[in-house]
Amino acid sequence: MLARVASHLYWLSRYLERAENMARILDVGASLALLSGQDDERAAIEPLIITDTLESFHKTGQAPTPEQVARFLAWGVSHPSSIVNCLEASRENARAVRGSVTSEMWENINDTWLQLLTKRGAAGGPIDASFFEWVKERSHLFRGITFATIRRDQPYQFIRLGTFLERADNTARILSVKQARQGVAGDGGDDGDLADHYRLSAVLRSVSALEAYRDTYRDAIDSRRVAELLIFDPTLPRSLRFCFDEVVRILSELPQAPAREARRLAAHMLASLEHGLLDDVYAEGLDEFLERFLIDNIRLGNAVHSAYLEMK
Amino acid sequence: MSASALILLPAPEGVYDEMFDAVHQPRSHYRRYDEWLREMSADQMSAKRAEADLIFRRIGITFSVYGEEGGTERLIPSDVVPRIIAADEWEGLERGLVQRVTAINRFLADIYHDREILRAGLIPEDQILGNDQFSAAMIGVKVPRDIYAHIVGVDIVRHSDGGYYVLEDNLRVPSGVSYMMSNRKMMMRLFPDLFRRYQVRPVEHYPALLLQTLRAATEVDSPTVVLLTPGRFNSAYFEHAFLAQQMGVELVEGQDLFVKDECVYMRTTDGPRQVDVIYRRLDDNFLDPLAFRPDSMLGVPGLMSAYRQGNVVICNAVGTGVADDKSIYPYVPEMIRFYLGEEPILQNVPTWQCRRPDELAHVAANLEKLVVKEVHGAGGYGMLVGPTSSRQEVADFRTRLLANPGNYIAQPTLALSACPTFVEEGVAPRHIDLRPFVLVGRETRIVPGGLTRVALRRGSLVVNSSQGGGTKDTWVVEDSGAGQAAPAP
Repeated sequence: MLARVASHLYWLSRYLERAENMARILDVGASLALLSGQDDERAAIEPLIITDTLESFHKTGQAPTPEQVARFLAWGVSHPSSIVNCLEASRENARAVRGSVTSEMWENINDTWLQLLTKRGAAGGPIDASFFEWVKERSHLFRGITFATIRRDQPYQFIRLGTFLERADNTARILSVKQARQGVAGDGGDDGDLADHYRLSAVLRSVSALEAYRDTYRDAIDSRRVAELLIFDPTLPRSLRFCFDEVVRILSELPQAPAREARRLAAHMLASLEHGLLDDVYAEGLDEFLERFLIDNIRLGNAVHSAYLEMK
Repeated sequence: MSASALILLPAPEGVYDEMFDAVHQPRSHYRRYDEWLREMSADQMSAKRAEADLIFRRIGITFSVYGEEGGTERLIPSDVVPRIIAADEWEGLERGLVQRVTAINRFLADIYHDREILRAGLIPEDQILGNDQFSAAMIGVKVPRDIYAHIVGVDIVRHSDGGYYVLEDNLRVPSGVSYMMSNRKMMMRLFPDLFRRYQVRPVEHYPALLLQTLRAATEVDSPTVVLLTPGRFNSAYFEHAFLAQQMGVELVEGQDLFVKDECVYMRTTDGPRQVDVIYRRLDDNFLDPLAFRPDSMLGVPGLMSAYRQGNVVICNAVGTGVADDKSIYPYVPEMIRFYLGEEPILQNVPTWQCRRPDELAHVAANLEKLVVKEVHGAGGYGMLVGPTSSRQEVADFRTRLLANPGNYIAQPTLALSACPTFVEEGVAPRHIDLRPFVLVGRETRIVPGGLTRVALRRGSLVVNSSQGGGTKDTWVVEDSGAGQAAPAP
C-alpha cells in the first residue's frame, strides 16, 4: 500500500487514542479534585505534567485551577494534543484516505467530529465527566467498528500499530507522574493512607484496571503492585507488556525488509517486559525505568516512520 | 383521481422536444415512459426525488466545499426523469464519435511529428505552433500506438432541426463520468418497474473498460496503473477516488511518486514500486515542476523526462489541449477528410473565427444574435450570449473583442433541445446537452449514452454545474416504440 495512506491510517488511530487518553486523565483528575487532602495546586497541574504541557499552559497566562487546566487540555486550540485538536487531526487523516477505510469507519469518525462541533457551541464546550465519557465511548465505538468491518490486511495493521504505540506511551506517562514522582517509589509497604488509596485507585481507573487489580491481587491497593500490573501484566489491554505483544505481532505481519531496526527495537523492549523483574525496576528506580521506556518508545515510533511512512 | 395530477408541459415553439413531436405526441422511444408517467402523481414524483437526494447524500456523491465548519457538502442535482435515446440514433452518434476521435488522435500524432496537415496548407502553421496549448516538449516524442487522447468527453447538443452538433471535444481531463454511473444506480433503485418496461443498455462496466484502456496504453505486460489526483481539496476528488476504487488501482498524489533513473516509482510500505501508466486528473502545467510551472506542489519532479524516455505513459498525453482549443475546433471536419478520407458523420456548429477580418466584421455587426467564446475558455466563463445580454453588456464585449480579435470565436445561438424535467411547475422542458465518454485503447469504445447535463432554470442554456446545472440518467433503449409489452396484470 502507499506509504502516505499508511501514514494517514497510523496517525488517525494515534490521534484518536491520544484523545481518549486525554479524556481518561482529565476524568480521573476531575474526580480526584473533589477529594480533600490533596495538594490542590499539585493535583491541578498534574494532567499538564503527564502530557508535558506545563510550559505551554503557563504561556496562556491562565491561573492553574482544575477548571482552566481541563479547558486547556480539552478545548484549547493552541494546544496540539487537546481533545478537540486530536479529534480534528484524526478526522482529517481519515478524510484523506476515505477509500482505504470502510464507509462505517469513516462515517463514525466524521460523526464524532460533527457531534464535537455541536458540543463546543458558543459556550466553549463542556469539561464534565459526561463529556469525557463521550470521548472514551466514541473511541471505543471506532475500534469496535474497525474490528467488525475492515479486512485484516495492511491498513488494519497500521491502524492497530498507531493505537498500541500511543497507548504504551500514555500508560507509562500516567504511571510515571502519578506514582514514581510521588516520592513513594521503593518504600514498598505502608500504603494504608487514605489519600494514597484514592490516588492509586485513580491511576487504576484511568487505565481501566481497577477490576483487574482486584481480580489479580484480592488485596489492598499497593503502589508496587500497581506498577507491576501496568508494566508486566500480559492480559491487561493497557499494560506496557500487552501493548508490546501487539506491536511485535503487528510488525511481524508487515513487510519485513524495510523494518529491521523497528523490529529489533520492539523485540528488545518486549523482552524486557516479558522477562523483567519488578525488583530490577525498583532497583533502577521506577522513574528512571519509565523515562527510559518513553525514550525507547519514541525511538521505535521514529523507526516505524522511516521504515514505512516517510515520504523521503 | 390522485391528489395532484402531474402537469406535463411541452417545449415552446422552435425548440426540439426530446419527448414529444410537433403534434405533442410522445416519440416512439418515449411512448412507454409517457404511459408510465401519466400514472404518477406529483406527490409520488416528489417522494421519489426526496429519496434520490437522500441516496446521493448517503453515498456521498457531493462536491465538497472545504473550509466550512463540519465540511459542508453540496449536491449536484440529479433529475428523476431520464433522457432517452433510441438505439438506432445512438449507433449513428457512436460511429460519428469514433470517427471524430480517431481523426483527432491522427492529427495530434501528425502535428508533433511530420506535420503533413500543415504542409498540405489545411491549417495555418502559426495557429498550431503559436498556440498556448501546443506543447513543444512533445515534439518528436513517440507515444505507444500513437494514442494521445485516451479518454475523451465530447459535448454534443441537438439543435431545433433535430440534428446533433458537436460543441466541444474535451481532450484534457474530462470529468463527470461518476455522475453518469451514480445516476444509473439511483434510477435503477428508484424505478425498477421502468427498467422492466425498457431494455436500457448498461453503463456499469465503464470502470472495467477504462482500466482495459489504461492497460492498453503501454507495451508493458501486466502494467501498474495509478490514478493521479491533485488531492482531496479538488472539487472532483470524489470522482477520482470513485474511479480508483472501482478499477482497483492506487489513488496517488504527486508526493506519492518520485522519479529515479528516468523511471517513475510510488512509495509503498513495501518500498518503491515502478509505475507504468498514470491516469492523471490534473492539467499539463501541474504535472512536473521541472518542466512546467515551478510553483506547482501537485506534480512529480522529473516526470516529463521519464515520459519522454518512454518509461511511463501519461493518459491523456501531454499537449492534447491544442486539438480541443476553440480556435482549432473549426478544422476538425477537415481533419476527418484529410486523415480518414471520409465525410464527417457528426457536424460542427458553424463557427466564425474572429482572427479573420471578414468574419470579425460579421461577428461585430451581429453580436446580439451570437454566442462569443474565448478560444482558451472553458466552463461557461468569459463568454457572451448575445440574445440574453443587455445592450451595455454587448457594447462592453464588443470593445474587448475588437481589442483582441484572435482571442475569440463566435457561433450562432443554438436552441438546445429540451427534455422533460421534474421541477416546481411539474414536468417541464429544460435545455440539455450530452457528454458521451470515448475510450481509445486497442479499439475505441463508448458506453451507451453518457452524461446528460440539464439547465434547471427555465429558458437557461447554461448547463454547467457551476452555474445551476443538474444531471440526468441517459438511456439508450433497444426498442422502437412497440418492443416488449409490460407483463399482463
